[in-house]
Amino acid sequence: MSFLVRCPNCGDRSVYEFRFGGEVKQRPPLDAPGEEWLSYRYDRVNAAGVQKEWWFHRSGCRQWLQASRNTVTNEVFETWLPGKERA
Amino acid sequence: MKFRFEGREIQTNAGDTYASALYRAGQRIFSRSFKYHRPRGLLCVAGKCPNCLMNVDAVPNIRTCITPVRDGAEVRAQNAKPSLERDWLSISQHFDWLMPVGWYYKTFKSPVVWHAVEPFIRRVAGLGELRPGPKREYEHSWMHTHTAVIGGGYAGLEAALKASERGERVVLIDDQPELGGQARYHRSLPTELIARVRSQSSIQVLLGSTCFGLYEGNLLGIVQFNPHPNARERLIHLRAHHVVVAAGAYETPLLFPNNDLPGAMLSTAVLRLLHVHGVVAGKRTVIVGTGKRAEEVADELRSNGAEVVSVVSPADGITATGSGKVSGLRTLENSLACDLIVMCGPLVPDSGLAVQAGARLIWSEVHGVFLPSDLPPQISVVGDAAGDTLAPVTRSVAEHKRSFVCLCSDVTSKDVCAGIAEGFDHIETLKRYTTATMGPCQGSMCQLSTIGICAHQAQRSMGETGVTTSRPPNPSVTIGALAGSRHHPIRHTPMHYAHEALGAVWMDMGDWKRPRQYRLSIEDEYRAVREGVGIIDVSTLGKLDLRGRDAGKLLDMVYTHRFSDLRPGRVRYALMCDEGGTILDDGTISRLAGDRYFITTTTGNLDFVHQWLEWYLIGTGWDVTITNVTAGYGSINVAGPKAREVLQKLTDCDLATSAFPYMACREADVCGVAAIMLRIGFVGETGWELHLPAESAEAVWNNLLDAGKELGIQAFGVEAQRLLRLEKRHVIVGVDTDALSGPFESGMAWAAKLEKDDFVGKVALTEASASPARESLVGFMVTGVGVPEDGSAVVVDGKLAGRVTSCRYSPAKKTAIGLAWVPVDSAEEGARIQVRIHGKLADAKVTMEAFYDPEGARLRQ
Repeated sequence: MSFLVRCPNCGDRSVYEFRFGGEVKQRPPLDAPGEEWLSYRYDRVNAAGVQKEWWFHRSGCRQWLQASRNTVTNEVFETWLPGKERA
Repeated sequence: MKFRFEGREIQTNAGDTYASALYRAGQRIFSRSFKYHRPRGLLCVAGKCPNCLMNVDAVPNIRTCITPVRDGAEVRAQNAKPSLERDWLSISQHFDWLMPVGWYYKTFKSPVVWHAVEPFIRRVAGLGELRPGPKREYEHSWMHTHTAVIGGGYAGLEAALKASERGERVVLIDDQPELGGQARYHRSLPTELIARVRSQSSIQVLLGSTCFGLYEGNLLGIVQFNPHPNARERLIHLRAHHVVVAAGAYETPLLFPNNDLPGAMLSTAVLRLLHVHGVVAGKRTVIVGTGKRAEEVADELRSNGAEVVSVVSPADGITATGSGKVSGLRTLENSLACDLIVMCGPLVPDSGLAVQAGARLIWSEVHGVFLPSDLPPQISVVGDAAGDTLAPVTRSVAEHKRSFVCLCSDVTSKDVCAGIAEGFDHIETLKRYTTATMGPCQGSMCQLSTIGICAHQAQRSMGETGVTTSRPPNPSVTIGALAGSRHHPIRHTPMHYAHEALGAVWMDMGDWKRPRQYRLSIEDEYRAVREGVGIIDVSTLGKLDLRGRDAGKLLDMVYTHRFSDLRPGRVRYALMCDEGGTILDDGTISRLAGDRYFITTTTGNLDFVHQWLEWYLIGTGWDVTITNVTAGYGSINVAGPKAREVLQKLTDCDLATSAFPYMACREADVCGVAAIMLRIGFVGETGWELHLPAESAEAVWNNLLDAGKELGIQAFGVEAQRLLRLEKRHVIVGVDTDALSGPFESGMAWAAKLEKDDFVGKVALTEASASPARESLVGFMVTGVGVPEDGSAVVVDGKLAGRVTSCRYSPAKKTAIGLAWVPVDSAEEGARIQVRIHGKLADAKVTMEAFYDPEGARLRQ
């Protein structure tokens, strides 16, 4: 694994500068059924294809960002700093 | 320059490699083979085959044919006893019938048999061994370029110049000590082209550097040898927008019986020895080959005084003869005496890097080789690596038990045919079964022959048979190069040298160095805190500064307790859980002002907590700024019944409990230095945690020691602190809790404010509060003697029921005390459990309150 991630602040950087933060998911409302909370806590889509995910630029600007990445080819299509929209 | 080889002194000429100097000095056997210990001599002189691997300066498996001589080096042979010339294990080749293809799989089916013979096999087979030698340094460096060109031959030089003319920055990599590629041994050195490349400031040339892999994101792995006198190898991580593979083509051996005898050499090797090193490889030579290449090498040998006995075709049914080295060549008609057999073998494009990047290899009948196609964008292949000028060479299958396909692991054409006959007729299974292409040369020498035999025997075309997968690293790389330098970052607290002066015994905590204890015994340090006053450096605690209108809101969200209602000037214990209700971290949060909080985290979790807070802040629009101030503060905990008396000497801040109660915080000067003072008590005594500007922390530390001298102040270390907190039953997150522990079962239900509107873990904790836990974290006291180790088993009613997380001998209780996870039935005052102490069970009883000062009166004094 040696692909590049384009940090919106710092530009193209080695993936080793980042911490992977998991799939982008919507936190359920507090009164959501237990099943939904269990799924939020423990289930992963683990898509073989493009997914939205969180990354933290640990060895750079130390900001969280989101990326859309193809998990099969590791091609990173787009990265952005999440604003109001977390998911 | 000279070096020593097996005790002999070898003289060298300018530009010599170890192998060229040894060959000139008359050495013909360079190694003994992996399995049969057959003598092997120089074959490729290009760093592609396993035949010249030696131990140089205590580093094994050095390709001596491409390694420039270092003056005074110590070179030794590998895998040969007592010597290369007389290796007693060469007898094993006469037992080849005992070791057919798939021998391992067929013979060592039972673990008993394998374990019985493994030590012997390990000793007699294989490659070099590591011997202790001088310390060597390896280093890493990172480079970026627009265009990387692999190979400094004609095609590579042209490609580099073209890219440079387009205005691109170029790095040109070649494993030889000089540019020119094959032109260096074909008397056609493009000196003008080389001069132009050299004069371009935009082209950086890396010579003596091997590119061993092309990874995702156009990352090239390159090993540069002897980059400077203090480093043996440098691993360069080179990122390039565009990679040009111009690695040329390399020659591979022909198949015929005894083709591995020393003296059977590739034509390119003969030319390299001649033109690069000025060595004529033989006196009486036979050339096996046809066409221009055979003519060229014959002419060159003749004009340098060698006799060319004959030029024969590989299809003439040839067999090399000789014992230990070539003494002749037999054809169908003739028997020719000679000391050198020159093989004009097939040239194979060196396009492995392109394949690693995703290119496919397609068989080309016209060129007689597999050529790269379907190149990914940003990768190009030029010159011989693309097969431009290559032509097919007559090959034969030559099924024979001495016709070697794979020199690395002694696989013969007979073995390969046998493997196919046994059903392994797919190239990938054939590779694994015979181990051909799997040795140190990574298939360079044997891949084409193996495919050829497989295609012939299975009656398929070369294209249908296909190739095995090319993976990095190729060529092989030392572990040292991959590991890099041995620099480990170490963090010192601001009081580091004061601790050193006090005789600290160090312990590692992450990157930090912390005093485990000082000169006195741990119990003396303990007594100072319990009866007088002690100070401990707690600078390693994570420290975060939180500011903004909504800071309290954020803390309410990510910590289980409520912080928006914390009054300025107060401190509260802080517990952090994840959405599953598992404890992640703990610490304290102090409200220094309405919109300003000061968080401490555990030493190891600072980065995590910081990122966790930032993550939950995203999208809220809240006014909060989080700053990591860990390194900005040095921190000291002053604790003990006499702590107030000492500290009061150094500050005007009123420390009386009426003015500065337990769990309060103040910002005040200590020794004239602005400090954050928290009145908290991890060790269970009256005490203050001082956070001081890092540059002044050591001065305050020394002032405290001076001010407390007459009261017997004592610096104490981590070990005494752990004992002190254990008597108070204070939990250390990550030591006493693990990835399954929540606040309820850990006895910290009071820290979870389930009535809050929302917080991370609320749903899971609400659920947990309704259903009883299976385990509980409790205190225990051993009723007999002995101290169980941390992690010891807890036994209830004769059954394994839990585990000890922390245990120490308590001077207060005069017995071993600790924390343990026990079944919830045993989690009640006085319950009987047993703990294992050095293999024996000892009785203990559960206690639900602190071992020392359970009411917490001393903290509040």
